[in-house]
Amino acid sequence: MHVDVGDAILRLAQETGAPSLVVVGTGKNVGKTVAMRAIYRAAVARGIAPGLTSIGRDGEAIDVGDAQSKPRLFLRAGTALATARDVLPASPASEMLELSLLQTAAGRLAYARVRSDAHYELVGPPTASGLREAIDTLLHHAPYAIVDGAVDRIAALAGGRDAVVVACGASASPTIDEAVSDVRALVARLSIARYDGREEALRIEGALTPSRATQLIREGEKRAIVVRDPTQIALSGRGALHALERLRVRCEREIRIVAVTVASIGRDRTFEPRMFAHEVASATGVPTFDVYASERAA
Amino acid sequence: MKPGALLDDITARALEFRWLRTALAPASPYGDRIFERIVPFAPGEEAQAEARARRVAAIASGFSSQTLDAMRDVFRNAPDASNAIARASMGDTLSDANLLELQRFFDACVRLDTLTDENAALPRVASAAVVESARRIELGRAGKFGFYLADAFDPALERARSSLAQAQAEYDAARGRATAAIATLLGREVEPNEFIVMRADLNGALPDGVRVVREAPTYLLCEIEETDATLAALDRRDALATAAAAAEETVRRALTDAIREHAAALNAAADAFGEADVLVAAARFTQTHDCTVASIVSEPALHATGACFIPLELELEKEGRHFTPISIAIDDVAVLTGPNMGGKSVCLRTCGFIAICAAFGLPVPASNAAVALFAEISWLGVGADDEPGGLLSSFAREVVRLRDLLKRDRRPLFALLDEFARTTTPREGKALLVAVLKRLQAIGARGLSATHLAGIAPAAGVRHFAVRGLRGIPNRPATSDLHQALESLASSMDYTIEEVTDEAAARSDAIALAALLGLDERVITDAYDVME
Repeated sequence: MHVDVGDAILRLAQETGAPSLVVVGTGKNVGKTVAMRAIYRAAVARGIAPGLTSIGRDGEAIDVGDAQSKPRLFLRAGTALATARDVLPASPASEMLELSLLQTAAGRLAYARVRSDAHYELVGPPTASGLREAIDTLLHHAPYAIVDGAVDRIAALAGGRDAVVVACGASASPTIDEAVSDVRALVARLSIARYDGREEALRIEGALTPSRATQLIREGEKRAIVVRDPTQIALSGRGALHALERLRVRCEREIRIVAVTVASIGRDRTFEPRMFAHEVASATGVPTFDVYASERAA
Repeated sequence: MKPGALLDDITARALEFRWLRTALAPASPYGDRIFERIVPFAPGEEAQAEARARRVAAIASGFSSQTLDAMRDVFRNAPDASNAIARASMGDTLSDANLLELQRFFDACVRLDTLTDENAALPRVASAAVVESARRIELGRAGKFGFYLADAFDPALERARSSLAQAQAEYDAARGRATAAIATLLGREVEPNEFIVMRADLNGALPDGVRVVREAPTYLLCEIEETDATLAALDRRDALATAAAAAEETVRRALTDAIREHAAALNAAADAFGEADVLVAAARFTQTHDCTVASIVSEPALHATGACFIPLELELEKEGRHFTPISIAIDDVAVLTGPNMGGKSVCLRTCGFIAICAAFGLPVPASNAAVALFAEISWLGVGADDEPGGLLSSFAREVVRLRDLLKRDRRPLFALLDEFARTTTPREGKALLVAVLKRLQAIGARGLSATHLAGIAPAAGVRHFAVRGLRGIPNRPATSDLHQALESLASSMDYTIEEVTDEAAARSDAIALAALLGLDERVITDAYDVME
């Protein structure tokens, strides 16, 4: 089913009432920036001048990690952004909004507003707390914030009111089965239900680690295992699925996953797009989109 | 704020110099730079030290705590524009972020002057250079706090940007038309960059203008080619973007030149801003801890009435207890005796703390004080031997420190000896302490020596102060709760320090204290028996 993917995801996100949207990925080069760009364009088309940032570095022409070309961000006038002051283009000049003491990989963070359309690079704070501060500040300058999450920096979601989009793709896993399993595990981890307070509970201070989860399973723990929020579940992949099937893990603060995006084109491999999207949609139960194909999975 | 030769590390730790530094820390990087350069006043600089303390006190009394806190907010929120001023001085062109830093700094200067309301104790910071530089970049103010290289700076910039915006619109329109045409031909939305076309959906060949980037068995990864029209529009846009960039750089250069012209005066304003930050921090400290200006006297001495050791006072407050202010006059080297937990060490620390405050030109935590500037303040004894000393014993470490202190021979010296030589035999310890006090007297040092050893003062020929001690035997708490025991002790202890002449009156109240702290009653009874 052909759709304007960016607009469809933005609508789903705004329906939650969240003031911000964060795109996180199951790995590197899984289409986070492409998804963010599509959502950004949809916001601009709707007359929203959003605020953008990233955790870590994004929007550069070449991936500084692996020297591969990367999608760039062409931003329209009115857009606010939080990025390293040293990567702001000298021209066209941006409106400088605020200067922060937060450090990024490319120097101190600055808040700016695009005054003339141009390509920009996003280099946001590398820490979860820094990102939260950047989002809060952006929301003083923009009605809505869109964030490009870095590889597995799930901790950045803690304490926020964001809608979350999970990106998965062929680059991160060798087979469709593994890619589907990975995204299913990530979605299952981030989607755990809120503790309703009615059942007996074991509260976990800090993270639910693999060793703790294994111990609880071995002891046949029947109580609800309550963590502060899903980012405190330090499990991934099949291990996460295994533990979440055997333990009744609950959280005090939920995370709202609104969509999954798939990128069937990887650097080293490609998956059959519709099959991939369909299987991801079936495994996660979350609305799934292929940004490249402009399709929503049936 | 550096102790220089006034304190060594051990003394600084014993007298909580780090705490004092933190309590006086300024709020801005401008203040930090000034603060880092502060060293104690040296003997001979009594007038300057007292003048500075009077200036701090005038600020403390001239402004409410709310106004001082508002000033602290101004300092805290001012970005560091020093780098921008330096870059301009060196001929670099300032970035827009630099110009925002300068704008915010100028705003902070004006705001600070508004708050100081021409109080002579604080420097005026919005100098003519600040006002003129602020005026030059004011056209760039965007909203209340932002900066933008606005068209208003230069008509040429406005024209260049207008042309660029038009060229961008033309390119967007041409590109949009090409994208829309292809979307129509494919019967779906397409990404303006890369997009997928499923082979199964493709009825015939791809539309013209679509380039295949990559082929897979079931789909094609495509992108929209630039047409002649879009390429021409792109070329025009790029050329005009280059022209707009040059126009922007011309404006930045002009603004940078304006800053460079006033660089020296702006650096002076930055220093004044930092100085004000340091003074306001000291004034806030003065208000909070009710400090007073000490007379800085040229004759080595320390007289204080109602003196406090603030770090301990705050610690006691947290536990709902109170610090009993100390009054003492030290004109030479003296001995201080008294019961355990009677405050002998606290008295030493209070004196040292007051001497440090005076040395840095600060009002002191006392209701009244007259203090000299010392060349060195030195702590010997309890606490000093906590330092890792390798093969040296506690006693050896004390002796080595004393040896080095006497060798340095910085005069006038303020020496604080807390149970010096307590780790050797009482007989030899006493002999050594007496000899040390005589030596300190001989070199004109001032100070106090707290000790439990009897007969030191007459043997050394020095004055003897004593803490009055327990008014009676305090009630032992029903439980072994330490907090209750300390409260009971505090209510029974008379911390008053007075000069004594009757050596026999010195007592430690050690057995009563041990009982209060819950030591087995049989042991206490036996101890009293032995005493009798």
